Amino acid sequence: MTVQKNILKVGKAIHRIDARSKVRGAEKYASDYYGQNLVWAGVKRAGIPHARIKNIIIEKTKNLTGVISVLTYRDIHGSNRQGVIRRDQPVLADDKVRHCGDAVALVLAEDQAVLKEALDLIAIDYEPLPGIFSIGKALEQGAPLIHEEHPGGNVLLKGDLKTGRGEAALEECDVVVEGYFTVPYQEHAYLETEGGWALLTEDGHLEITASTQTPFRDLAEVAEALGIERESIRIRAPYCGGAFGGKDGITVQSLLALAALHCQGRPVRMVWDREESFIAGVKRHPGSLHYRLGAKADGTLYALSAEVYYDTGPYDHLGGAILALGLEHAGGPYRIPHASIRGWSVYTNNPVAGAFRGFGVPQVAAAMEQTMDMLAAKLDLSPLEMRRRNAVHRGDKTPLGVTLISSTGLAECLDAVAEHALWKEKERWKASAGSSKKRGVGIACVMHGMGYGPIVPDYANAKIELTKKGAFRIFCGVVDMGQGNASTYLQIAGDILNQDMDHLELVLPDTEKTLPSGSASASRTTYTFGNALIGAAEALKKRILQRSAETCASDPNDGLTMVLRPGSVFHPPTGKEIPLSQIVRMLDESERISVFEFRAPVTQERPTEDENLRLHGIPHRIFSYGVHLAYVEVDELTGKVEAQRYLAISDCGRIINPQVFEQQIQGGIAQGIGYALCEDLVVARGKIQTPNLSTYVIPTAMDIPEMESIAIEKQEETGPFGLKGAGEIAIDGPLPAIANAVADACGVRIFHAPLAAGRVLTALEAKRGGKEVKA
Amino acid sequence: MYAGGTDLLVRLRKNPVNPFPLVCLGQIKELKGVRESPEGAFIGACSSHASLLSNPIIRYAFPVLAKGLQVLGSPPIRNMGTIGGNICTASPAGDTLPPLYVLDAVLEIRSQNAVRRIAIKDFIVGPGQQRLNKGEILAGIWLKNDPDFNIHHFEKVGQRNALAISVASLSALLKVSESGIIERVRLAWGSVAPTIVSPTNVEAALKGHFLSKDTLQKVMPLLREAISPIDDIRATAAYRRTVAGNILLRLLASFPYKEGYGT
Ligand SMILES: Cc1cc2nc3c(=O)[nH]c(=O)nc-3n(C[C@H](O)[C@H](O)[C@H](O)COP(=O)(O)OP(=O)(O)OC[C@H]3O[C@@H](n4cnc5c(N)ncnc54)[C@H](O)[C@@H]3O)c2cc1C
Repeated sequence: MTVQKNILKVGKAIHRIDARSKVRGAEKYASDYYGQNLVWAGVKRAGIPHARIKNIIIEKTKNLTGVISVLTYRDIHGSNRQGVIRRDQPVLADDKVRHCGDAVALVLAEDQAVLKEALDLIAIDYEPLPGIFSIGKALEQGAPLIHEEHPGGNVLLKGDLKTGRGEAALEECDVVVEGYFTVPYQEHAYLETEGGWALLTEDGHLEITASTQTPFRDLAEVAEALGIERESIRIRAPYCGGAFGGKDGITVQSLLALAALHCQGRPVRMVWDREESFIAGVKRHPGSLHYRLGAKADGTLYALSAEVYYDTGPYDHLGGAILALGLEHAGGPYRIPHASIRGWSVYTNNPVAGAFRGFGVPQVAAAMEQTMDMLAAKLDLSPLEMRRRNAVHRGDKTPLGVTLISSTGLAECLDAVAEHALWKEKERWKASAGSSKKRGVGIACVMHGMGYGPIVPDYANAKIELTKKGAFRIFCGVVDMGQGNASTYLQIAGDILNQDMDHLELVLPDTEKTLPSGSASASRTTYTFGNALIGAAEALKKRILQRSAETCASDPNDGLTMVLRPGSVFHPPTGKEIPLSQIVRMLDESERISVFEFRAPVTQERPTEDENLRLHGIPHRIFSYGVHLAYVEVDELTGKVEAQRYLAISDCGRIINPQVFEQQIQGGIAQGIGYALCEDLVVARGKIQTPNLSTYVIPTAMDIPEMESIAIEKQEETGPFGLKGAGEIAIDGPLPAIANAVADACGVRIFHAPLAAGRVLTALEAKRGGKEVKA
Repeated sequence: MYAGGTDLLVRLRKNPVNPFPLVCLGQIKELKGVRESPEGAFIGACSSHASLLSNPIIRYAFPVLAKGLQVLGSPPIRNMGTIGGNICTASPAGDTLPPLYVLDAVLEIRSQNAVRRIAIKDFIVGPGQQRLNKGEILAGIWLKNDPDFNIHHFEKVGQRNALAISVASLSALLKVSESGIIERVRLAWGSVAPTIVSPTNVEAALKGHFLSKDTLQKVMPLLREAISPIDDIRATAAYRRTVAGNILLRLLASFPYKEGYGT
């Protein structure tokens, strides 16, 4: 039975298959291409936040030796607009520039040095326009418009949702608390910046290799923006070196395609350096949130009013969908019978905000969970008890009035926290703070919807091929951006087909080879593709066993008794074993391939009649849940906050690979700690003041405490092997858990994130009367 | 000219020099390592931070320097970066500088046919400015043993726990008697002025007094006079000013004889 040892079994913690090649530097990312005769492409960025373009002066650049071509919007013969829902972002700016990072010209050069010189030589003649740099300004009457043709003016999307009597019910509450919160931008700061390469083949095919989460959706966008046939484009999506939502949509794809069209068949490469990634890449939406939350004297939540404002920058870039998800989660995982939830996603001339792990939820979770603590304090309830009394169970309605018909494990998570040593021992830990240190403990409850919502079809197509050599080739339609889903797919297939790693092959997303399976986003990747893969694997298994029985056994019903083994088929009654490489000869070309489509279920309930909000994703049907707990220590002398212990208890359904799951949770926590404590993209008049990783401070390993992740493993009936999404939920918890812990430590709440040392020290001083320890 | 290249690399990325003739001092054996001498130690300028951290002479005789090195950059930066580079870069945020000031480090400067010595505080004259003439290199650093001190303190305040540019830092050497009297004291602050600040009047005002919160509070006005912090993207001047004073209070926690004395 030794062969059985290495079978990939669901539930087993195994190293991801890409670990070795990545650690050794052998894995090829999108921009790891330095073929012969390479052309270098680069972009001239606007540099100013809002202006009409009068003239783009490129003559000098064109004449520079080593410059192949200088392209502007005039060279684009399509719509020159890209975007997922509202196509409002030009490939190359035409009439106007709307933020400092807008692309104005594309230069193709023989080498990097010439490229840089050429870009510096381009001059742009502008007529400056008044800029909009705050949400307040954008919403003012008569404010200059960023998109003159947009019917909503500077409001990209507005949402107004009401359940029960809405905010009017606040008057019937025994206690009401109120808070104004602000949350900052967050930069994705992936190791691998945006990049890739492209080639126009002799037969007119455009081949693009890009670091993207959305190869299939990109096809349509590139085709439309550039006015070329979708069928003539092929996009390959290797592993991303991180994406987190920042590559959910077009970054370099259209630019590379346009470049390739002007390279006479030479390969062309473009990679943004870190500074360009900062200026041109998307960020998490900064926002301001006004919350009022009321409860009855016994601690039962009764009414909520939430107003949510997100600064989306000058382009949609999913900013509407992000607002919608924020609104859907604004009331947290609680039963609140009366709620008014309103939101605005607002155009400004600030950097473009877009998809980022959490997708609008971390912002509202920060506000809601802090408001919960404020309310608990007023009611003299422990933060945990307050949450236990109001947590949603299966069958309850969300604050949006949608019934939770899928697995709902929040109560179990809360029970597990209550039983955990970190909760039980918190008072002792707090009391043992050293001199000039204050300690606090905070918790936060989070929920996170999975998938695209009711209208945009959330489907995946899996494909498996039995190769001539007798191995199984998995055609992975969804990108693995580093989260390890490709490995999980092999594990699923291995489990069903009873195979080890030696008999499994992986084909990464390629629009010519793999099948459309949606984006690697929305915590849907493994859920949707995994379900499709199960279907494809089961069908292929059945076919193989049936066919081998027909051929090799006396009784065709033996198909039931035959089993798959790594690389072979085995017939236990006779002990006969036939290599798959032999079986494959009995199968027709088409029979060696199995394809299965899965479409995620949606809820039929309509919490709103606003079709636009439904289109933008409201409501979801399946949610993951979690409770986060943070131990923090605050230094009274410097205001520095350190997270010292961290616990996340999650209901993400059953776990396929505990190791990969834990990495997702830990990564989310680490990124969330950065969001909570130190990451602060400073923007002044549309210009980023922290334009690199020396001034934009992300946490290092030294800033991340020991993290414990516990999965309660509640079965989700619709999930592949019972799982639910786990990619995003862990980033929803850290900011509120840490903010609550800081408030617990200091006795003063800081409503503005990040809770950087300066802010905390100021708050401490204000509390002390501002005198005690001043130099 | 460069040694570890960690500062040079950043500068070259911003302003590429083409072509750039680079002279690497880092491979010259004589400029590396720590040599013990009767009165102290000589540190070769091209010694990497990591090599100094693992050097027993540095660890036991000059713990204040080791504490500064411990929080400089990150492991790769400490492996490549050198103490000489840190001095010649002359950043007010250089993490070895406050320790070297309180240790009264003397620098050995060499040219083709001359050797001169200069105190570190006279060598560094402004941000990025030092008194290195054309044709000269920093050969090493002379440190004197001074076993008298019983508090060796270094604190760096940064935006994170590694790879952080100091927002304010304090290096302190104190001799505190068993009864709690400050008998000797050397202090140096980083990142609160164009160069390291080591105010002798603050030191003088502390000498002879009990190490107590009261005593430390009393010198705050003098300290405020001595520093001239700036606003930048990492911190406001006001924050630096407050913290420069506050971190002096940390000395209370390092009283060598009785836990928590004087608080
Ligand atoms: C990511 C990163 C993090 C960092 N973090 C920190 C930190 O936390 N704290 C800190 O203090 N610094 C930090 N630094 C700065 C830098 O690493 C240190 O200042 C380091 O000590 C410089 O040493 P080096 O040998 O690499 O200098 P180099 O780059 O080689 O040289 C710097 C300058 O000094 C001159 N020079 C070097 N050696 C000599 C010599 N022997 N004689 C004459 N001139 C010489 C060079 O000509 C050059 O002008 C960091 C740098 C980076 C890139």
